[in-house]
Amino acid sequence: MNCPRLRSWFSERYDVDGIRDLFRKKTVPAHRYEIAYYTGGTTLFLFAIQFVTGMVLSLYYIPYFEHAHGSIIEIVTKLNMGWFFRSLHHWGAQIAIVVLFVHLWCTLLLKSYRKPRELLWFSGFILLVISIFFGLSGYLLLWDERAFAAVRVATGGAGNLPLVGGFIKAFLRGGMDVSGDTLTRFYAFHVSILPLFTVLIVAGHVLLVQYHGMSVPLSVSGQTRKDVPFFPNVFYKDLIVWLIVLGMVVTFATLFPPEIRGKADPLAPAPENIKPEWYFLFLFQTLKLFPGQIFGLNGETIAILLITAGILFLLFIPLFDIKSQRGEKSPLFTWIGMIYLLYFLVMTVIGFVS
Amino acid sequence: MKIDYSLVSRRTFLNTLFGGWLLAFMGGSAYALLKFAFPTLGKEPDFVILDADQYMGIPENSVKPFAWGGKLGFFFKRPDGTTAALKGVCTHMECNIAYKPEERKFYCACHKGWFDETGKNIAGPPPKPLEFFDVRIEGKKLMVARKGIKVELPKA
Repeated sequence: MNCPRLRSWFSERYDVDGIRDLFRKKTVPAHRYEIAYYTGGTTLFLFAIQFVTGMVLSLYYIPYFEHAHGSIIEIVTKLNMGWFFRSLHHWGAQIAIVVLFVHLWCTLLLKSYRKPRELLWFSGFILLVISIFFGLSGYLLLWDERAFAAVRVATGGAGNLPLVGGFIKAFLRGGMDVSGDTLTRFYAFHVSILPLFTVLIVAGHVLLVQYHGMSVPLSVSGQTRKDVPFFPNVFYKDLIVWLIVLGMVVTFATLFPPEIRGKADPLAPAPENIKPEWYFLFLFQTLKLFPGQIFGLNGETIAILLITAGILFLLFIPLFDIKSQRGEKSPLFTWIGMIYLLYFLVMTVIGFVS
Repeated sequence: MKIDYSLVSRRTFLNTLFGGWLLAFMGGSAYALLKFAFPTLGKEPDFVILDADQYMGIPENSVKPFAWGGKLGFFFKRPDGTTAALKGVCTHMECNIAYKPEERKFYCACHKGWFDETGKNIAGPPPKPLEFFDVRIEGKKLMVARKGIKVELPKA
């Protein structure tokens, strides 16, 4: 592609060469853990898929409790390619969460959160919370039995937090109970509030990566290595990974379109063998571990407090890990990261098979 | 009159003024926005009135659901023929429960919680027994009320 007039139009107005130099100068360290660098870009790519498929789905979805369930049935049965885009949105979300968790654990185990990248970790953590909330709010939009029970449990769980619990619960539900008001609210979260915050925070996150450059893991930082130019070497590899991921999402979407259960009925009993989305299974399994009463205290409150403490510790890990802050190896926090990972994996598997 | 010495420079004064204005504006906006975003909360009802004919005739050892506000309520006829009404919401995580007639127990499918016929939590994570209501029949009206609430119907 060569349009000299267009090029000169731009270069008369903007410092095109300067911008191009920025790209040209960007290098990426090459070492045995470099595969971790692709997880962030892949998450971004999957988010882009979610934005696009979400936009087209919102053209037809009706965010009102009487019509929501029916409108999705309509999308998947009557509209051109409707089944495909709904399925793509579903699987894109699933795989985005998988990749997000991989990205999280790469960052955690390679300690890329260490000084000076603490803000990257915090912004990434906020994005994780947003993504999970995306999942929960998107799931309720189906307005089927399972979504109804899942959102009751999730918002009710937040209600067990001391002091602020009741406030958060009522705010999320839009009332005392999960109802049509909750659906409207979650729709607003899902299509307007969360996407806007996501765009802003992702922009900040990506800019911070450009500012700091790629983090080099402590274990390889001493070795001599060659840095590879981002463009075109790494960029093309990025594209390869994205293409593979796109292929996976489309394959899953085509072969395994997600089920839609019966319309939610606030007066129907919770369906048998109900299980939450897989990324909530470890929490679900943890809740089952706790008996109703522990030394006369409410078991749930203790469970929720412990879970909250675990999550907060993970959030503030860059501040606790003083050794890696100083640039020293810190095996203790590798172990802590491994324990988090194992707990998540084991509980998720138990949740699946039980 | 000219003051030779002042603790506040012109710049500090202006910064305080504009800073204060900004703070007041943002605080006020945030307060108003939150006030609007936080829903007005409904209340669970003190009592509901059902049609006695529809409920009294149910078979023994079974339940019939009714709407307790936006929540699930059960009218329950025990195997011995006595009746009761209860809130059909698990005390653990607020899932709707189901009655298992063959085991004579209430069951919550979300986290596998069990309650016996009297609503006592007997297995699984539920921390508290189920909430039972007072039941009273007046003519064709079946009155289900929260324990301790006196229902006075207007004479019509």
